[in-house]
Amino acid sequence: MTAEPTPQVPFCLRLPAFRSVSWQQWLPAQLPSLPPGDLDLDIGDWSLSCRDLDELLHALDQAGHGVQLLITRCRDTLISAAALGLPVREASNVIPTSEVRGEQPNPPKTKVDLTVHRGTLRSGDHIETQGHLLIVGDVNPGGSASAEGDVYVWGRLRGRAHAGSKGNSNAKIVALQLRPLQLRIAELVARGPEDRPQPGLAEQACILDGAISIEPASPPFLPQQI
Amino acid sequence: MTNSRTILICSGKGGVGKTTLTANLGIALAGQGARTVVLDADFGLRNLDLLLGLENRIVFTAQEVLAETCRLDQALVKHKQEPNLALLPAGNPRMLEWLKPEDMQTIAGMLSERFDYVLIDCPAGIEDGFKNAVAAAKEAIVITTPEVSAVRDADRVIGLLNTHGVSPVQLVLNRVRPKMMANQEMLAVDDVTDILALPLLGLVLEDEQVIVSTNRGEPLTLNGSASPAAKAYGNIARRLQGEDIPLMDPAKDGRRGIRARVRQLMQTKIF
Repeated sequence: MTAEPTPQVPFCLRLPAFRSVSWQQWLPAQLPSLPPGDLDLDIGDWSLSCRDLDELLHALDQAGHGVQLLITRCRDTLISAAALGLPVREASNVIPTSEVRGEQPNPPKTKVDLTVHRGTLRSGDHIETQGHLLIVGDVNPGGSASAEGDVYVWGRLRGRAHAGSKGNSNAKIVALQLRPLQLRIAELVARGPEDRPQPGLAEQACILDGAISIEPASPPFLPQQI
Repeated sequence: MTNSRTILICSGKGGVGKTTLTANLGIALAGQGARTVVLDADFGLRNLDLLLGLENRIVFTAQEVLAETCRLDQALVKHKQEPNLALLPAGNPRMLEWLKPEDMQTIAGMLSERFDYVLIDCPAGIEDGFKNAVAAAKEAIVITTPEVSAVRDADRVIGLLNTHGVSPVQLVLNRVRPKMMANQEMLAVDDVTDILALPLLGLVLEDEQVIVSTNRGEPLTLNGSASPAAKAYGNIARRLQGEDIPLMDPAKDGRRGIRARVRQLMQTKIF
């Protein structure tokens, strides 16, 4: 994507109403009529996962359009956009499904401190954030969560989690029930424990003596500044 | 708008019983007096007509309806013994290439004007066939077996259903073997519902009669068979209609007699 600022107001591409048509079908028909260069993308009330949004951007990118700004009414899309590091703006009356805190109107420069994802990450779902990540819900087997900071799961972690994805070895993974398939902290990889954990005990994984080890979760739970 | 219900029956993984459930549920709902149509959305590998024993009656398919070369009621195949049930057969597999989600919506819209229940038999996988089918659905039944791979795929499908705004999504657990569950050789019902976090619409026991009926083209629910699977399908249909029927407890499976239960008891004593 180009970093050059365009003097005139960029063209705003607006997706049709949610579920009225599939955007995969809709987009190719629109592409020829678009003005060349970067544009703003109004997602409207579409709830797009990271994967969907990536696909959409890729389709636009192949046609030679960068996206300067993403406008959305849906919190989930907001999170996906933040995860992909896109400049994003909330439209008014946002649909409250999930929530992002510390989001500034111009996020590529300002780091997102904590991303809150509400809802379960099911198999195949993937969330990737710049700051810390708090998931209020489970991470099911086959789902994965990745954050540059810590990963907190207010629920059961049964999939994969990667804390400190950009190499922060002080990052930790905390879950109410820690039964992951695989844990990663910075560059280290560990398989999940074979035995079932005791019920009702929150656990955390962090790097101890060069290996990932699991221990009962201990304060401070509040994430430090990255 | 009528209060017709368009229900997608999907699983992600193949071979877990989507088509069998669609056929049996269709017969059961029709038998309980609801006008029901089953729509085969599995264009690549269609076999809903086989299970219903209607293969030789197909004249027109969904393809001709969409191309407007025939009327909808010409394409609908009425079931020979159950007049409340109709089948809209899938077109030929080449249809996959041009069928769009909007086409499925058109078909489902036409069907929902005439029927109380539109059951869509979804193809396995999450590719175009699934996307087409899901576009037409308002609610869904996810069917899975107590196996890790089937549960994993079901989980993925549920995630996709959620992003498409399909709701409510209910769960049917198929091919349950109570004995293996009791011996912890198989995922327990709780393990599955724990991961998928969906309301359980029914449990279907592993039953050889299902294979027999499939090969004959006569769904189990058709002739009031007393087999456990037939009973389970009937109960699922009643629960769909809003009746409150308690779920079967696999630990107290009616099929096992006192002898088996004593044996079970002895086994547990030994350990």
